[in-house]
Amino acid sequence: MSLHLAIKFGISGLLTGGVYSLIAIGLSLIFGVMGVINFAHGQMMVWGMYIAYWLFVLLGIEPYFSLLVSAGALFAMGFVVQKLVVNRILDYPEAMQVLPLIGLGLILENSALLFWGPDHRSPQMSLSLSTIWLGDVMLDVPRIIAFVIALLIAFLLFLFLKKTDTGKAIRAAADNRLGARLVGIKVDHINNISFAIGAASVGAAGALMLPLIPLCPHLGHDFTLTAFVIVILGGLGSITGAMVGGLILGVAESLGTLFIPPSMKQVVSFTIMVVIMLLKPQGLFGGKR
Amino acid sequence: METKKTKTGLLSKKMDRRTFLKLSGAAGATAAVVGFPNVLRGARAKEIKIGSIQPATGMIAEIGQACRRGNILAVEDINRRGGIKSMGGAKLKLLLGDHEGKPEVGRSEAERLIREGAVVLVGAFMSSVTMAIATLAEQRGVPFVIDIAAADPITQQGYKYIFRNFPRSSVFGRCFAEYLTKIIERSKVPVKRAVLMNIDDLYGNVTAKFTLKALKEKNVPIEIVDQIVFPHAAKDLSTEVAKVKALKPDILLPIVRIATSRVLVRELYKQRVPLLGIIAPGCPGFYEPEFFRDMGSLAEYIMDSPPWINPKSRMFKEVNERYQKRFNKSPLDTNSAYAYEGVMIIADALERAASTDPDKIVEALRKTYIEEHITLGGPISFDEKGDNINAITGMLQNLGGRTRLVLPERFAEADYVFPMPKQLWERGV
Repeated sequence: MSLHLAIKFGISGLLTGGVYSLIAIGLSLIFGVMGVINFAHGQMMVWGMYIAYWLFVLLGIEPYFSLLVSAGALFAMGFVVQKLVVNRILDYPEAMQVLPLIGLGLILENSALLFWGPDHRSPQMSLSLSTIWLGDVMLDVPRIIAFVIALLIAFLLFLFLKKTDTGKAIRAAADNRLGARLVGIKVDHINNISFAIGAASVGAAGALMLPLIPLCPHLGHDFTLTAFVIVILGGLGSITGAMVGGLILGVAESLGTLFIPPSMKQVVSFTIMVVIMLLKPQGLFGGKR
Repeated sequence: METKKTKTGLLSKKMDRRTFLKLSGAAGATAAVVGFPNVLRGARAKEIKIGSIQPATGMIAEIGQACRRGNILAVEDINRRGGIKSMGGAKLKLLLGDHEGKPEVGRSEAERLIREGAVVLVGAFMSSVTMAIATLAEQRGVPFVIDIAAADPITQQGYKYIFRNFPRSSVFGRCFAEYLTKIIERSKVPVKRAVLMNIDDLYGNVTAKFTLKALKEKNVPIEIVDQIVFPHAAKDLSTEVAKVKALKPDILLPIVRIATSRVLVRELYKQRVPLLGIIAPGCPGFYEPEFFRDMGSLAEYIMDSPPWINPKSRMFKEVNERYQKRFNKSPLDTNSAYAYEGVMIIADALERAASTDPDKIVEALRKTYIEEHITLGGPISFDEKGDNINAITGMLQNLGGRTRLVLPERFAEADYVFPMPKQLWERGV
């Protein structure tokens, strides 16, 4: 039975990890290019969820389609935030960079509270109760879909960064801002695009999360923290690291509950973080920062 | 007899005051004619300030607003009926405080309201905050009527100025044990094993502790095969529910919060956990209109035993009508109803005390006996610790798209259905 449970928990954790990855990729991309940690990341995801929620409730569009709208809206938000706020603070000391973004998080969270009230919302979607049984092991369909779409988006993002000119410019700017400027890349513009893409991916993750967890304005913090742990685990600024880190964290949290009470689930993730910081401070896939 | 004597004593004093007020009123009228506005102000029917401290903003703002509305409506009702008659029709004035769900803020808000002239405090929904306010109120000698807060220790400190209308945690446990025994004994199929699940926060742990204690003390014929504790911020209960399934319980006793109630029920559906019933020992999440909005037929047959309004009370129907008219909102719920009663108790005490002197108010509160009120249980009356001796919880069940009171029978709106006629996944969602 123990093995059976372990398989079950492992799969469930892996699937959740896929969405974690997508959230963390956004954070990692933003850090990689600008060297700024987006402390409003979780709150941005919550906005993505609200957009998907209203599209579902008012127009009946399932989040798997409306994630394009969520991502688009968050892309615009990210672009504006970068242009108006983050571009001005890039050269400030790190402690000072943190504040405007925490402020942004507070604004996003409280405006969601103002517009939509504090109650939890968890609409019943056509697939939210469907399951697949492999023998005795249950697989949750919304979770599988979320996992597949999250990996797909991550893969597309990866291709975009590797193959397109803009993607290459983003990587160049991440690698060496001055050098990129010298070869004629409009670094400010690239910054805007990168922040926008980071925000868009977390927006899409929000839409994918909607069928999985009840939505309320205060969800953001936890996800900012989770994303942060994943990014540290995988290596700050590394997309592959965020991807793998998310999967590892999902599985570890889930399997951990076999040995410790579920209420201490987070002990696992933070222990992993502390161990990584001690043994490999640059993260699993981190470069030489 | 003796108490009567003291009452007459109070009454005669009251008469004195009333005569005094009348006289000064006359003086004021004269002064008004002559034209001394200052004197006039002093002569108007006095205003009695009550400090309401609720979580009006923050994480549980929704509930806090409902509590605040209950307080407001009660004050308006009393003023409309002529205020405190024994004090010359003095009007009540509600000073609004907001503790944001934080004990330290609650304390400073209480301090502020007392400074602004509140003679009685009412609040505060959260036990931790209520405790902080109670300590301050006791120090300052300001009576504090707790409309909602369940933790037992608040009234166990030997405080003199603290009174509580709400059932305390041990009462939650006692009532739940009683109802559960009834359900098990009357059941046509044997009910032997139960799993208790609770959220890992102060509220969840305390409720779980009192539930287990009461089940043991009352010899409820059921074996609790395991207690599964899940994190406060749980977003996914698949592992916990897998454990429940492996334990093969007949019934599940969940203690959740609003967000987790949905996750739990959906997960029970997905993992096809066969259960005779889901019976919650008094927690939010299963009976709110939003739960039906989100869950549809999956909400059906779930039972929960929170403190509740008395659906058979005529007074409840009237207050509910006024509440809906006044606030253009969802009906008077259990929170706003208890908040309403909090102010009602204060007004009743002020009427008998005929004074804003704290010790006289406390004296009057001790003798409270309110027969007609709007929540479950017998007449409101306080023991020496300040707890309402007749406070109880009820057993609710979701039937036909809304929640109904099913136990105790003397208040019940409907008969309960147990075991669930259909498992969650047989309901064709």
